[in-house]
Amino acid sequence: MPVDAPALSLVGLHKRFGRTIAVDGLDLDVPTGSLYGLVGPNGAGKTTTLSMATGLLTPDAGTVLVHGTDLWKDPDHAKPMLGVLPDGLRTFDRLTGAELISYSGLLRGMNPATVEARRDDLLAALDLEVYSRILVTDFSAGMNKKISLACALIHAPRVLMLDEPFEAVDPVSAGAIRRILSSFVASGGTVIMSSHVMALVERVCDHVAIIGGGRVLAYGTLDEVRAGTDLEDRFVTLVGDVGEHRDLTWLQQS
Amino acid sequence: MVATILRLRLTTTIHQLRREWWRMLMLIGGAIWTLSLLPSVAITARALALRTTGVRTDAYTAIVTVLMIGWVVVPILIAGLDDSLDPARFASLGIGIRRIMPGLTVSAFLTIPALFFLTALFVFSTSWLPDGGEVFAVALAGALLSLATMILSARVSVMWIARLLQSRRSREIAFLVTLVGVFLLAPLASIVLADGLETILEYDATPILDSIRLTPIGAPIGAASAASAGQWSAVWWRLALSTGWVLLLWLTWRVNVKHVLVHPISRGGGTKAREDSMLAVALRVENRSGRPIGRWVGRWVGCPPRAVVAIRARAIRYWFTDARYLAAILSVTVFPVLFFFLVYPAFGSPVAVVMAVPLLLAGTIGWGRHNDVAYDSTALWLDVVAGRLGRAVMWGRTTATLVWAVPVVGAGIVAALVIGGRTDLAPGVIGASLGVLGTSLGVSAITSVVLPYRAPVPGENPFSAQVGSIGAGLFAQAISSLASWVVAVPVVLPLVAALAWDASWGWVGLVTGTATGVVALVLGVRWAGTLYDRRSGRLVAAVA
Repeated sequence: MPVDAPALSLVGLHKRFGRTIAVDGLDLDVPTGSLYGLVGPNGAGKTTTLSMATGLLTPDAGTVLVHGTDLWKDPDHAKPMLGVLPDGLRTFDRLTGAELISYSGLLRGMNPATVEARRDDLLAALDLEVYSRILVTDFSAGMNKKISLACALIHAPRVLMLDEPFEAVDPVSAGAIRRILSSFVASGGTVIMSSHVMALVERVCDHVAIIGGGRVLAYGTLDEVRAGTDLEDRFVTLVGDVGEHRDLTWLQQS
Repeated sequence: MVATILRLRLTTTIHQLRREWWRMLMLIGGAIWTLSLLPSVAITARALALRTTGVRTDAYTAIVTVLMIGWVVVPILIAGLDDSLDPARFASLGIGIRRIMPGLTVSAFLTIPALFFLTALFVFSTSWLPDGGEVFAVALAGALLSLATMILSARVSVMWIARLLQSRRSREIAFLVTLVGVFLLAPLASIVLADGLETILEYDATPILDSIRLTPIGAPIGAASAASAGQWSAVWWRLALSTGWVLLLWLTWRVNVKHVLVHPISRGGGTKAREDSMLAVALRVENRSGRPIGRWVGRWVGCPPRAVVAIRARAIRYWFTDARYLAAILSVTVFPVLFFFLVYPAFGSPVAVVMAVPLLLAGTIGWGRHNDVAYDSTALWLDVVAGRLGRAVMWGRTTATLVWAVPVVGAGIVAALVIGGRTDLAPGVIGASLGVLGTSLGVSAITSVVLPYRAPVPGENPFSAQVGSIGAGLFAQAISSLASWVVAVPVVLPLVAALAWDASWGWVGLVTGTATGVVALVLGVRWAGTLYDRRSGRLVAAVA
């Protein structure tokens, strides 16, 4: 495989739900060794795209290539390369934090001794040691995100697909996660993350793609997409501002 | 507030009907069926109007007692019927108990079963008309009180059982209490009913019914009969007793709702800590023989052994701690226990029926798993994303079910053989039961992957009806029960032969039944696993 082959290649992805077209011919190439940000308004199709790219949702049309391997035709080779953190899905909350991470490792066929060592590393790195013996059902939303991230990391994947990884995560943990992702990328891994928060994407990512209406509206390195202005301004220009500015005068306190 | 809650209920129902036209069919079907029952109600009322007061009183006491038991027990046994407004959903709206209670009460009385029973009880009370207008008035008041008792008892019992199953500490206590209760009451019931039902009806029925009339359950009927005898003081205290009981039930319900409004399940604040048993199990299995013991099984069933160990451990954890799974175990074991300790001693049964009970038990357990995958809800993303683990998932889940199913079916077999007294049928019954268990679990494995529908989500009331479940659910249930019956027939034949002709057919049944069960289970799970992998991209959406 050529060294500069993209880590993830989405070619012509289509998905419709009833009458709504969620993803409309989406093409994207994510270079290896990049921290790629996917931004877009609510309902743009980010989560649907990431679901199709991780094997959770069958695309109506299109191909997903992970380091050149077709995900849907050859999942045995493609899925071990992926680490997935989805958004808005439940977890096995009758297990404790430590058990959930161990479960994720054992599912991948890892040696239990390795699983144990890595699980302890992850719990320490993500500041979850105190909660390792508590059931996941008693976790807060941020802890849920962190434990799911740990589940995505345990098998040392080559490509990480993270849907809103920093949502509800406190700044200290966010810093820890940023460090983990940066060193992962520096060593040759690839991270694709989606977010609403422009400041976060500007700070963390080196590449970005703006998605709207089920299509990629702009993509490239951060500077290319920003094109001299703020990322948020470029985003609003491409996606369009709120139609009508209405003042909620009855909400004013005086 | 009452109007708002009623409007909320109406709007939810209309949206549900619009979304699933099956529900509309069921609604219309249910309405027609209940209407068709009204003539028989009218005929009963007419017939009893012509009898003496004593007979009429006894008959109505018996009828009302049975109906009362039905109202309390049926919502628990048949999950998915409770479509009332769940008070837990109001928790985040910050509505106080005082504002919400009247609305909930009125909405509980405006369900189709409640309206049907109102009509039926009204028709029943008309049979007191010949005794005079005042007696009819008392009977009417009694009917309304009976209806209120039935509805409120149902509300209270469902909430109590759901709360019991969801709280970790009370669950253990409840299990112990039930176990002790069964072991104490069962022999008592056997002794009491040992002489058979006819003697009971002859000698004991009237005193039993009289004592029921002293309790709040039978008090309304007692009031009507006292009115027709002219004992008005007795009428007043019976009506007062009944009203007091209704008030007590309503207050209990209110206390429950108040608790549920401020104690949401998902924000429990856990205190129970446990070690990583997942890894402990995996390490134990690995170390047992120096290499994963499941390797030969894995090659047989065609799946990675470490994944199977992990999935099975996870499923076992859910079986013994999750309210929905516990509710499933509960509803499966109620019928055999009732049969062996109440029905059989009272009525007696032909040997075939007694021997059929463990088979029914095995079949119910197997069929009950026909939507097994959906119980994970969207959490199954972790299994889907980890690779092509279809066979491992289905094998792990099925073996976790077998962990409790085999002992339970074994207990059923022992009970049937001992209580039925035909130990020579043992091999036949064992073979047939294991065969039915294996085949029905195999069929269920396939239907849970091919026809999944939304199941109660973790933390929800395990007995509630699910949006999106009726149409898909009915179809899946119909197909899975049909398939289970068809596949079970060859397994049951040797037992039938053993019962009809010669008990030594049972040995044939032992061999063929067990073999068929095991083979059907393994093949079913294998095929289900392959289908799981093929459909993995549609599963999350199907169970969401």
